[in-house]
Amino acid sequence: MMNHFMVLAVLLTLRTCYTTYLEQESIVFPVTYLNISKDLALQQLLVEWDVGKSAHDAELAMSFEIQVHRTDENTTVWTEFHNITLDRSGKSLRWIWDSDLPLECMSHSVRIRSKAEASKIWSQWSLWETVLGLDTSNNSGPQIFPDEKIVEEGSDITLCCIGRKGQIIKDFILATDVHVLNHTSSQGQVRLLTVKNVAHHVPHISVCCQESSNGDRYCDYAVFFVGKPPDTPNDFSCQTQDMKIVTCTWSQGGDTYLYGRYSSKYTLFEEFSQKPVLCTVSCSERCSCSWNIGQQRICNITLTVENPLGKKTAMDVFDVTHRIYPAAPLQLWEECTGTEITLYLEHQNKGIELFCQTELLQPDGKVELHNASSDLRVCNTITLGGLQPYTEYTTRVRCGAAKHFWRWSEWSKARTIRTNETTPSGKLDIWREITPVLGGRNVTLFWKQGTSFRANGRSISYEVTWEKVEDGSKPEKISFSSVYNSTRISIDNHSYRISIIAKNNVNYSLPSVLIIPRATGTEEVKEEQVNGTDDGIFISWEPRHTYDSYIIDWCNFPMFQPCDLQWKRFEPNTSSALINSAAFVPGVRYNFHIYGSVANSASLLEKKTGYLRELPPLPDPTVEKVELSFNAVTLSWDSYHTNESQPGFVRGYHVYVSPTQENCNLKGSKKHVLPDESVLCKYTIENPEEKRYTVKHLLSNTKYKLAVKAYSGGGETPIVDFIYIDTPFNSNTLYLLALLVIVPSLAAAICRWKMKWLKEWCCPVIPSPNKSKVLSFKEFKIGSEKVLATSDCIPDMLAVDNKVEAQNLHPWSQLSSRPTEDKINGHNSSWIYPNENEERHLTPRPTPQMHTWFENFAYSSLLSAESNPYQIPETLEAIKPELAAVLYQPHYYFDIYNEDAASTPREAAGRKTSLRYISQTDVRCLGRSL
Amino acid sequence: MAQGAASSLHPVTPQCPPSPSSSSPAVTKGLFILWAVPGQGGRPLQPPTLQQTQALVRHMAEDAQELFIFYEEDQRLTIHNNLCRTNHPPDWLRGSVTGPRGLRALWRTMTRMAQVLQNITRHQRDLNPPGAEILRRLASTHLKVRGLLSNLEGLFLSPSSRPSRQPPPGPTAPTKVFRQKLEGCRTLWSYSRFMAKLSTQLEARSRHEHREKLRSQRGSQLPARS
Repeated sequence: MMNHFMVLAVLLTLRTCYTTYLEQESIVFPVTYLNISKDLALQQLLVEWDVGKSAHDAELAMSFEIQVHRTDENTTVWTEFHNITLDRSGKSLRWIWDSDLPLECMSHSVRIRSKAEASKIWSQWSLWETVLGLDTSNNSGPQIFPDEKIVEEGSDITLCCIGRKGQIIKDFILATDVHVLNHTSSQGQVRLLTVKNVAHHVPHISVCCQESSNGDRYCDYAVFFVGKPPDTPNDFSCQTQDMKIVTCTWSQGGDTYLYGRYSSKYTLFEEFSQKPVLCTVSCSERCSCSWNIGQQRICNITLTVENPLGKKTAMDVFDVTHRIYPAAPLQLWEECTGTEITLYLEHQNKGIELFCQTELLQPDGKVELHNASSDLRVCNTITLGGLQPYTEYTTRVRCGAAKHFWRWSEWSKARTIRTNETTPSGKLDIWREITPVLGGRNVTLFWKQGTSFRANGRSISYEVTWEKVEDGSKPEKISFSSVYNSTRISIDNHSYRISIIAKNNVNYSLPSVLIIPRATGTEEVKEEQVNGTDDGIFISWEPRHTYDSYIIDWCNFPMFQPCDLQWKRFEPNTSSALINSAAFVPGVRYNFHIYGSVANSASLLEKKTGYLRELPPLPDPTVEKVELSFNAVTLSWDSYHTNESQPGFVRGYHVYVSPTQENCNLKGSKKHVLPDESVLCKYTIENPEEKRYTVKHLLSNTKYKLAVKAYSGGGETPIVDFIYIDTPFNSNTLYLLALLVIVPSLAAAICRWKMKWLKEWCCPVIPSPNKSKVLSFKEFKIGSEKVLATSDCIPDMLAVDNKVEAQNLHPWSQLSSRPTEDKINGHNSSWIYPNENEERHLTPRPTPQMHTWFENFAYSSLLSAESNPYQIPETLEAIKPELAAVLYQPHYYFDIYNEDAASTPREAAGRKTSLRYISQTDVRCLGRSL
Repeated sequence: MAQGAASSLHPVTPQCPPSPSSSSPAVTKGLFILWAVPGQGGRPLQPPTLQQTQALVRHMAEDAQELFIFYEEDQRLTIHNNLCRTNHPPDWLRGSVTGPRGLRALWRTMTRMAQVLQNITRHQRDLNPPGAEILRRLASTHLKVRGLLSNLEGLFLSPSSRPSRQPPPGPTAPTKVFRQKLEGCRTLWSYSRFMAKLSTQLEARSRHEHREKLRSQRGSQLPARS
């Protein structure tokens, strides 16, 4: 029973909880009050609303969804959820919205709905509450919003132009070339202009809006500024000189691009006294502000810099006694000795213990800082010691608080002070040059103020004394003013002691002594070449332990007289030195003498000669002699100097020869390519005293160009001039030429001279057959042709060519004498040598069995030379077919050489092989025989 | 008195330097100012000659034109045509200054102009960094106006007849920045027109009086010839 009751009780409780939970989940508290207003200065929309009192009483945690709507844009431009826990006070709820668009431009509406956090159900939306824009009012003309707004560089700005009711905005533009987004309301009465990421181009930007209505123009203009918020003040600190007036200083920071009344304003506020600091800020390179702090010793100053775009602060908390910045001390006068300067000062910060620092500027530009430990309140003097006598120093002083040092004061005005004169310190550096003369020596003495010597006075003079060492004779003495640094004395060949001292207004210096030893014979010392470097000429010598110092002397201007002798001393353990002088120039040969000195007596040890830098020899060797053969040329330049007049040690010569071919192929030479890429053959002579060279292996009858260049360690100068030579003909070649040309020419001449004889000998005159006696008969004539009856002629010699083919080919080949055949060497020609005395009577018969004819070789030869057979009238005549068919052989004769002219191909082919010359009997003979 | 002063606008002797043109170098202009405005350059103050004043007016006319053109462009007021170039100048730049009371009227106009230039300069200081070209030009023009005022005061015969330096009260200046810019621009335009007109009138008058003088000289010489 009991258990049953308990179960019922639990169930009841659960149901109650569940019911309560359901009720809470579904409970809503709608917005009962909503009011909106606008703050045009801040461009904010102020929203105020409330829900039922029960919600306040229940102290519910609630959420509100707030929507902002722009009438003209027809969209919800903002939605925000606002969570708050209500209290029992019953105060209405508030929310502020910053509008990116000027609230004047168009109407803005707000609605809200609510939800208890425990609930899942949102209330109904409240009705829209609207604040009207100026687009709904009656304007007298277009208006631009916002006007004179200051925009931070890099942000966006949206402007609107509201036209009169029913009017359309025609133009809404910026007077600066800036990219803008431009859009118009649906009615055209409001136009928006958005500039994204505004940049500072000009101090301010003008905007122009223009509406067009019935030709009347209504315009409005506005200006907006683009700037930057101020930077936080840098290096803000405050200090005092007298613990009464405090001055705070700071750096301005970057340009804000806002000027005049929009520029940054500075204010100072003292936090302990909670009072603004009454001071006037002035800014040039730095800003500063000064005011009287009275008796206040600890300050907390806040500096605020503010402009329309923002505000920055800087703070300085300080104890005035720790911020003492003393005024610059005043140097009243000074006292000097040879080595000390005492400064007398006055400072304005009475009662403040100061610590001062003195800057000492030395004549060589070095700066020394001397801290003065003395308290200036007790003694207003500062003493600077360790100074050089008769030397000008520039001093200035600054001070700082000895306790709680903050910073140095400004420097006092600089004063230039000269210390007093004292005795010259150290010795003069002296040297000599000895020139032997008849009966003695000329000694040129030189002196200079070495590093160890100090004149210590204004007026310095020199005194030279010399005396014989041996007999202690009376010394001689000469004085010189400060402008002199050398003198020449004449001494005999004895040993001399020379001393030189410097003197100022106070006293003499210690003497510098030189011993000139007794004159002895000149000792030859070999001269060696040395090399120059970028830093000077390096000299080394063999160390000797007998000397207490070494001296090197040389002439700065070896070509001049006096040559400006220089010398340098070295410690006894030195064996090399790098000699440099401002007077050293490349291309000049300098001679160095190395001396060893012991007991003020110097003796020459070594000689060196060298250049700072060798240059190419100048001028080029002049080729004085050229010996030419057909295949070699010898050049000589004997007068060329290789001495110290040269700007470098002459190491040898190069002989250049232009090759006949592109590549240098002259034996013993090397190819040398000029800057213009032409090629020369180069021969090298490595001995500067060898001033003659023979270039061999040249070609005869060829033009060559040659050049001779001297070279040194500095190289050689470019080739400018060449020597031009023409190698002569080779005589052997001439002989050969003579053989080949003159002999044939002579032969030709002789031939020409004896042409007639030769012609007659080689080519006898060919008699004309027509003029031959043979044909001088009248027995028979066919047309113009004479016919000789064989019986009328007794031939000397008769050749008979008997061919079967000929017989076959020619109808008249049957006309033949009696057949007599005798084959010789396989040839079917038959030669008949009849008896000269035999006379035969041959009668012409119309049908001879064998065709027989005559030919003279000479005639044949002429024909062969004259290839045109038409030139022979007789043969031309023989072409006539009517004649050829009957008796006369000349027609046939013609055909041998002009086989195409009148014969058929077949005939011609036959003749080629079968017809041959046949007789070589002298015509005369023939004629006679015939 | 004013009439007397005005009647003394006679060319006495041709002492004027060559007329400075707008293309003259700055040095020439500086020398010209030294000559045209007595007391400039540390010289002892002496009454100005009419030629000096006339030459100064001519120079100021050129300067006013240059200042207006620079201002209009610098302030981007060419955004619309003839925004500045009004045909309705302020009253104080409208009246004639060459009549019988010309010098006094001119003095009043220049006094007002000096005040307006100060206002324009103050407005421009809010818009430009220190040392901006427009500020330099405004200061230069202001100095010239004060120089002319000084010359005009020197032309009055007695110190007692000199008007006081107290400027007449001007209209309330506009508060909006663009309005201030526009107002300044229009004033500079009217000032340049005024100075051009004044210079032309003075030149014409000078030539006329010179011709009259020559004529009278010829007339007096004729009987001597006969």
